[in-house]
Amino acid sequence: MTATVDTVSPAAAPPRAARPHRRPAGRVAPYLMLAPAVVILIALLGWPALQVLGISFRRLDLGELVRGEVAWIGLENYRAVLSDPEFWVIGLRTLVFTAACVVATVLIGLGIAVLMRHLDGFVRVALQLALVLAWATPIIATTTVFQWMFDQRYGILNKTLVALGFDGFAGHSWFGSGASTMTVIGLLILWQAVPFVAFTLYAGLLSASKELYEAASIDGAGPWQSFRTVSWPAVRPLLTMVAFLSVLWDFKVFTQVWAIKQGGPDGDSTTLPVLLYLKGISGSHFGVAAAIAVLMLLILVAVTWRYLRLLTRSPETEL
Amino acid sequence: MRKCLDARKSVVGGIALALALTGCAGSGNSGNSSDQTGPRTLTVWLMNGSAPQPLTDALHKEFQETHKDVTVKYEVQQWNGIQDKLTTALAGNDAPDVIEIGNTQAPKFAAAKVLTDLTEASSGFNKDQWLGSLKDSGSWDGKQFAVPFYAANRLVLYRKDMFEQAGVAAVPTSRQEWLDAISKLRAKFGADPEFQALYLPGQNWYTLLSFIYDEGGDIAKRDGTKFTATLDSAQAKAGLEFYKTLQEASGTKAPKDTDEQTPEQAGIFGQGKVAMMIALPWELATAAKNNPGLTAQTSAFPIPSKNSGATAPVFQGGSNLAVPAYSKDQDLAKDYLKLLSGAKYQSQFAKAGMIPGTSTDVAALEADPVNAAMAKASRNGRAVPATPTWGAIEAGQNPLKDMLTAYLTGAKTIGVATADANSALNKAFAG
Repeated sequence: MTATVDTVSPAAAPPRAARPHRRPAGRVAPYLMLAPAVVILIALLGWPALQVLGISFRRLDLGELVRGEVAWIGLENYRAVLSDPEFWVIGLRTLVFTAACVVATVLIGLGIAVLMRHLDGFVRVALQLALVLAWATPIIATTTVFQWMFDQRYGILNKTLVALGFDGFAGHSWFGSGASTMTVIGLLILWQAVPFVAFTLYAGLLSASKELYEAASIDGAGPWQSFRTVSWPAVRPLLTMVAFLSVLWDFKVFTQVWAIKQGGPDGDSTTLPVLLYLKGISGSHFGVAAAIAVLMLLILVAVTWRYLRLLTRSPETEL
Repeated sequence: MRKCLDARKSVVGGIALALALTGCAGSGNSGNSSDQTGPRTLTVWLMNGSAPQPLTDALHKEFQETHKDVTVKYEVQQWNGIQDKLTTALAGNDAPDVIEIGNTQAPKFAAAKVLTDLTEASSGFNKDQWLGSLKDSGSWDGKQFAVPFYAANRLVLYRKDMFEQAGVAAVPTSRQEWLDAISKLRAKFGADPEFQALYLPGQNWYTLLSFIYDEGGDIAKRDGTKFTATLDSAQAKAGLEFYKTLQEASGTKAPKDTDEQTPEQAGIFGQGKVAMMIALPWELATAAKNNPGLTAQTSAFPIPSKNSGATAPVFQGGSNLAVPAYSKDQDLAKDYLKLLSGAKYQSQFAKAGMIPGTSTDVAALEADPVNAAMAKASRNGRAVPATPTWGAIEAGQNPLKDMLTAYLTGAKTIGVATADANSALNKAFAG
């Protein structure tokens, strides 16, 4: 029914059926086969993560890095980060931004998915093509296009608004305040995130056969009722998954935020990933940056705790 | 490490002897390594687009001729990602011996104690003729860690044909004459809605620096290794005010919330409807790419001062040369710097259209009218605060840009804008 179940159940089912006939050597074999993948995962993901955790307890500026010094300072980096009021402002901003992006992405994605289900032939293909193209365009290319659209003098948006009679938008700066800048960045993220969500949810909707809708309409269900009783059960597990993925993606989005205004003006569109970049890469305070990275991970775990628990408890559970 | 291995191969005798001779057992001490025999390699990293190839070819030929058994391993590095590459390279056993670093990077590396102190050696590098701005940016805590290499500064590129048609007889030599020229140009060409007498985006902070310097102000004042922002001074405010006066007088259509690279101002100048822009000399070539006639029609003058006849001080960007602390051939590196800082090779920088870092001879720049204007302003060059944190300010969230946009758009009064920028800058200085 869902992607999660499909990928997990075939792997889990055969050993259970075959186990009584297995000799001990046969029992080891699956683990041996898994070993290369596990080792690579640990080497590529686990080790760097441990490194980051370790660095977060060290003073590691450019000098220490170049001289190869190891200076343990305990929780000093965390204290410095958490006692800076700016961190809390930026953290809250990042959470609000993430929530807004995720809700908007999932709602619009769902709307387009339902639309696709009801469209036929040429129009649907055209819509799908447009979605794929929006999704396939490189991030920075889209960002540049958005910068041009919202440009103060030469942007098509201001020119269009003026042509429509809104003269106040002549020379209006969309990047003049943090809130306005964040809105533009949010729209940009939405533009790039909606296609994936729409296609995933569309796939879920396809699993509810047309007959079900017909049956529902024979029973006298209106559009809303048939959505609730037929579409919703089919799409709900996928919806949870894309919402979860969107939280992960939108929380740590950096490229677009940085490219639009480097977290400005006056640092008012700075999000946690941008702060991390400013501290770590620009300022060469790798220890402080590592502490921010660990804190970001903790926030993410807290936010997605419910989903993670469902995920780890039993893969077969309906989400 | 590589050098040690080379030496080991050639020295007849035990490995211990070889190690002793090359000084591999100890640290990279310059005193010992001059005793060594056998072939040696001097690794030199210069940046893409810096020293012209004929210069480096001749330089390396001469260096290898005067230093028997020494090979110069010359590697051209890309600006993109150079900071990370230097960070790892300077830490390793395989550190290069001579590096070119951007003028804002020197204090950062010097403060991290990974550059060799060149204060004493400087006297051999033509020190009397050093370019002041680059000397400042190469020093940290009273010591000289980097030697000036080359620099460039901004000037006003203008259309000779438009000036002539508008009846501007001589190039402006004071702020007032500059503003007068703008009104004459606008009176003549203003009927064309696309015309801009001066293209000036809101965040051209290098230009703002000129105005602040010209008022006698600065971004920050230094006390030892500590910097305190001075953007709330009366002089800085006066500079900012003139920026606004100029921006409003210019009839520019440039956005107030971007710098001169977004959109690239040379491209807009190249469309032929702009009479002036404040730019680096080589931006003319970019502008002329789609409009070849532009080169002959364009000349330049230094940014005018508020004092008639003088030129405004200018921010100078450029490069310094440094010797990594872990370089194993510091004696050779210093010889190399000595040769490169001599008049013979420095004059070639002037020919290539750059201000030489260790020679006051800029005669070769006079041949070209645009370069001549740069040469005229070059002695009045200044540097941004030589603090390890400046690189991050420039590459990240630059309070000067925010200040300009906020003041020009009217979002903040001059008092609030400068006070905000001042505290943001002080915070950034603290790292």
